[in-house]
Amino acid sequence: MYRWIDHTGELELRVEAATETAVLEDATRALAELLRRDDEARDGEAVTREVTVDADDRAQLLAAWLEELVFLAETEAVIPERVEFETLDERGLRARVAGRRGQPPHLVKAVTYHRLSFDRTGSGWAATVVLDV
Amino acid sequence: MSEPRRIDDVLWEIPRDARPDMRVPARVFADEELLAAIASDRSLEQLQNVATLPGVVDAALAMPDIHQGYGFPVGGLAATEAPDGVVSPGGVGYDINCGVRLLAAPFSAEELGDRREALVHAISRAVPAGAGRDGALALRGERLDQVLREGAQAVVREHGLGTADDVERTESAGRLPGAEPALVSPRARERGRTQLGTLGSGNHFVEVQRVDRVLDADAAAAFGLREEQVTVLIHSGSRGLGHQVCTDYVRTMDSALARHGIRLPDRQLSCAPLSSLEGREYMAAMAAAANFAWANRQAIAHRIREAIDTAVGRREADGTRQVYDVAHNVAKVERHGGRDVCVHRKGATRAFPPGSDDIPADYRDAGQPVFIPGSMGTSSFVLAGRAGSMERSFGTTCHGAGRRLSRTGARKEIGGAELRRQLEDAGIVVRSPSNRGLAEEAPFAYKDVERVVDVVERAGLAARVAQLRPLGVVKG
Repeated sequence: MYRWIDHTGELELRVEAATETAVLEDATRALAELLRRDDEARDGEAVTREVTVDADDRAQLLAAWLEELVFLAETEAVIPERVEFETLDERGLRARVAGRRGQPPHLVKAVTYHRLSFDRTGSGWAATVVLDV
Repeated sequence: MSEPRRIDDVLWEIPRDARPDMRVPARVFADEELLAAIASDRSLEQLQNVATLPGVVDAALAMPDIHQGYGFPVGGLAATEAPDGVVSPGGVGYDINCGVRLLAAPFSAEELGDRREALVHAISRAVPAGAGRDGALALRGERLDQVLREGAQAVVREHGLGTADDVERTESAGRLPGAEPALVSPRARERGRTQLGTLGSGNHFVEVQRVDRVLDADAAAAFGLREEQVTVLIHSGSRGLGHQVCTDYVRTMDSALARHGIRLPDRQLSCAPLSSLEGREYMAAMAAAANFAWANRQAIAHRIREAIDTAVGRREADGTRQVYDVAHNVAKVERHGGRDVCVHRKGATRAFPPGSDDIPADYRDAGQPVFIPGSMGTSSFVLAGRAGSMERSFGTTCHGAGRRLSRTGARKEIGGAELRRQLEDAGIVVRSPSNRGLAEEAPFAYKDVERVVDVVERAGLAARVAQLRPLGVVKG
């Protein structure tokens, strides 16, 4: 489950999910929603990319994962549709991203470290990440 | 949080002892009404966070257009003492050397007449906006390295886009020294590869304007501006290349904080001593990205001259001269108060006073030109730097109106199609690839630019030279 909170000059994403993997999947869905135009048909060329990310901690991993997706959107116009995590732990992940080429209208400049978090809660996992748009 | 206390007419301070981790006070230039707006978001808390940076001197400062950002507030500045003070990539921001450039055309709004729409249209075709990149200068390898090393100078010399006079009338002559292309990651190069000469999205724009009022005749004459003249204001930055350089170094420094013994209230303030390897490498990569931004605005200005040629004529295109180009997201080592400091300007503009050796000789009596874009559809201002900036704000003034509403908040108030209609009813020609993006930049989403400019003038940081009104806008 994710929601966007809009601040004066940025977009904050909050995700809550049962597992770490589900947090990353929801964050991917949220970013795809941002990159897809309201009226866009989902008929662009299908694209699959292998992505490997490492990090010092879980929060940095979330930021680095979203940075990969921002890079794919900006350089290849890929809007992600499905993701399969082949390996995933606190210090890194390897994943296969499947998506389609689109026309991302509103390019996300960057994934910031401002109020960045990815932690266990009583019932699952929660993450916060602020995007510069 | 402690309330700001009034220091003088337009200066407010949160004292150093407001928080145990603050090393210097936090100061804001504002009037009562702007301060009330500023206090309604987290920007003052963010400014206090900036006041905790190792090596910060004097005060963490905010301009009247300050609003909440991430890490640094937008409209904030901080100087850290070289060599042991830190440099913070977040204190420059993702859009390294985002800035504004003003061109002055050799004809009046009346002379342009009904060719205005054709001119705006020609600009929208010549300058790729949004995610568009057709017509961009795609550079690789050594050709890209030249741009990263030499900025606008490389674009003029190697690609023939513009003139030596443009370079002369650019902050730092369009080239920050010490740039090292090898420190710009392959990923940053890939993001920037097809983006030279493109506007980008968000709040970037090209606006065709007319000089509505001259407010300082001598300075306006020095800048080559007269009433009714057509001007073109360009707002863009270093595009994906700069975004990636910042991304890369925020992470690098985040990972090195413990090694440097630095504790921060916000991870986005990640930083490293200027003298450390991380600090030196960031400064060299940031300079390369800043140079890319100057090259970008140089290429855009050239395309605008081509559009003037198409819509108006060759002679008019050749007679369009650059007034100046200023950076508003940058870190520079400058000498202030007898010491070398690294001035982080995050949504703030250098505003050197009359007599400064760092401004073009023919502007030296007037002071450095500064451009303050208002929100879309309202006035923009040309200012000139004043002596107060050197005494009070490390040679700095404001950069814009400053956001008041969030992007969603703006979209809730108005649809893009409706805003387009309102602007066109007001006689402003609009070209934008996205109605949504247009609505997010609605004029009421921003603070009143006149009030912002009034504060910096009363503070003695800069003075009004001319007021510009929009005739047409190409939105990114």
